[in-house]
Amino acid sequence: MEIFIQLVLNGLLLGGTLAIISIGLTLIFGIVRVVNFAHGEFLMIGLYAVYLMNSTFGIHPYIAIIPATLLLFAAGAVMQRFIIQPLLSAEGHIQIFATVGVSIALMNGALLLFGADVKTVQGITLGTSSVALGPFRASSGQLITFAVSLLMVAGLHWFLQSTFLGRAVRATAQHRNAAQLMGVDVKKIYIFAFGLGCACLGVASGLIAPQYPVFPTVGTFFVLTAFVIVVLGGLGSLSGALLGSMVIGIVDSLAGYYIAPDLKEVVYFVIFLAILVFRPTGLFGAGRGSE
Amino acid sequence: MIKKHWASSFCAVLTLSVSMASLADVKVGALYPFSGALALLGDESFRGLEIAVAERNAAGGLKGEKIELLKADAVDAGQAVGAARKLTSVQNVTAVFGSYSSALSFAATQVTEMAGVPFFELGAVSDEITERDLKFVMRSNPTAKNFAEGTITAITKIVAPSLKLDPKQLKVAIIHEDALYGTTIAGFQKKLAQEQGLNVVEVLPYSAKAVDLSSLILRLKGAQADVVLQTSYQNDTTLFFRQIREAGFKPKALIGAGGGYSMQDTLKVVGAQNMEGVLDVDFPQFQTNEAGAPGISDFAKAYKQRYGTEPRSGHSLINYVGAKIFLDAMDNASSLEADALREAVARVDIPSGQTAAGIGAKFAANGQNERAHTSVMQWQNGVLKTIYPESAAVTQARFTDHP
Repeated sequence: MEIFIQLVLNGLLLGGTLAIISIGLTLIFGIVRVVNFAHGEFLMIGLYAVYLMNSTFGIHPYIAIIPATLLLFAAGAVMQRFIIQPLLSAEGHIQIFATVGVSIALMNGALLLFGADVKTVQGITLGTSSVALGPFRASSGQLITFAVSLLMVAGLHWFLQSTFLGRAVRATAQHRNAAQLMGVDVKKIYIFAFGLGCACLGVASGLIAPQYPVFPTVGTFFVLTAFVIVVLGGLGSLSGALLGSMVIGIVDSLAGYYIAPDLKEVVYFVIFLAILVFRPTGLFGAGRGSE
Repeated sequence: MIKKHWASSFCAVLTLSVSMASLADVKVGALYPFSGALALLGDESFRGLEIAVAERNAAGGLKGEKIELLKADAVDAGQAVGAARKLTSVQNVTAVFGSYSSALSFAATQVTEMAGVPFFELGAVSDEITERDLKFVMRSNPTAKNFAEGTITAITKIVAPSLKLDPKQLKVAIIHEDALYGTTIAGFQKKLAQEQGLNVVEVLPYSAKAVDLSSLILRLKGAQADVVLQTSYQNDTTLFFRQIREAGFKPKALIGAGGGYSMQDTLKVVGAQNMEGVLDVDFPQFQTNEAGAPGISDFAKAYKQRYGTEPRSGHSLINYVGAKIFLDAMDNASSLEADALREAVARVDIPSGQTAAGIGAKFAANGQNERAHTSVMQWQNGVLKTIYPESAAVTQARFTDHP
């Protein structure tokens, strides 16, 4: 029983890490309706930014979250303005290919700039230390990530529901043309939303930097799982992404122990396929016909 | 004006003919992953070859001709085929050197074999590469089987005697990344452990792209493994070390089979104190006794002079030694035709302990170097030091409470 509880705890904490990465992806999809294949590479940019701030100025990654978030907001906004916006009225697959292209360019750019070496933040204890909770153990970094991911979902939910800008964002997500007729500057909203989705990765990079080293292909380690989570939770749904992350985290942990570590991906991809077959809109999806 | 024009075109013709003359050099291909996920060690491997070629050129080249090294980037098997085709049919190279990765080697050797161009493998470890009856594929480096032998030797000859235990009393767990590299080595480990009567309690494969190994570590903890054999790349190695610390799992010995365990960068990420006492089996590395590896310090010096940094791993060394063996054989061949090169390689006879990596060279009919072996090393105070074989050892194994 003790092992089972430790496994569930590990799974939930892993879920927190996955959630913080998936939130931005689901936001961008839900609002801009673009499947951003460069999501993992934006995470990589964030991680490098955090690493550089740590190695040059000795800043703790948790403090580096602020500049990293601003940087990624800008990067996302630029991507939307100059790459996605010109393709807005093109077919969906063209936008997808554009994001794939950005992904490859960024990955190889990082390889050119930083080389393939793995780098990590140094000289910190908060975030890397291990905490004993009775007979169970957890990493302080994962606990903090978990807490922040819950706060972030709550915060974004409040923002989208209760502020004027949030309402404009939701209106744009629901129907682009109708929102435009109501006087919403759709293009600006898209730029803002894409930036916001990427900014979430700025927070994620600061939080996961104490636990994971950075290297040019680090994004590919997370992004596939993030896609599974977003589809599982329902594209565009924040609470879906959170729940999906927890489900995948726990499945990952339990399957890794009770089945086999190399088969855990198989288990959650089977769940993924089942969701696609039986509930294609995901757990919290808006349903068919939501544009 | 016209005269001037004439003069400049004369100059152009002159430069053209000079560059034509340099085209008559002996061209050899260097097929490595220079970009993509394997780029770091691919490039490190290439540096060994580059230094060997530079040395040979400084010593007069091959049969009086300068060697021109043509780089070919192979990120994956598909690109390796393309790169090998370009080298053999467009650039008409005399031989191809490569390749660091077994997957790339499998693909590229199919092409070079068909083209009748010798492929000199300096770093890929899959045993299968030289077990396919290919005529022009020759390999200087130790194979996966040699790696597995090294890890089992580390248990029976180093860990067990240090702990004053019978090797059979130790509970051994084998964990490995689930692609070709890990699966091949772990397969040999399982077989050899059985032959030696060792007690293997767990064999657990996992994906090298895993972002969480906590459940695997709980299984190891549950099985009370004394010795963990891991075959892994860099990220999964760092992840494993971080998570065993978090889980409070302390095996008596951790033994890696190269890959992530050999890299300075892994140490930087994991922290020297967390890797203290960890054993690693790999190609011979730089902290090796010169007596068992003549020329090793000269190579390290040449490396530092050329690239301005310390070598990042022993990949450059084994590639350098292999390239030297093959380049010497090429120079001694009756001609640079493929058959003559193969024959010259078959004549090579270097006793063990006579190269900068400590390996010898004697090639079997299938092209595999039978005198290639791995070294057992230990991380001590942040440095990877050779502890076995004894002739190459710089220090003795030390076991404290780790990691």
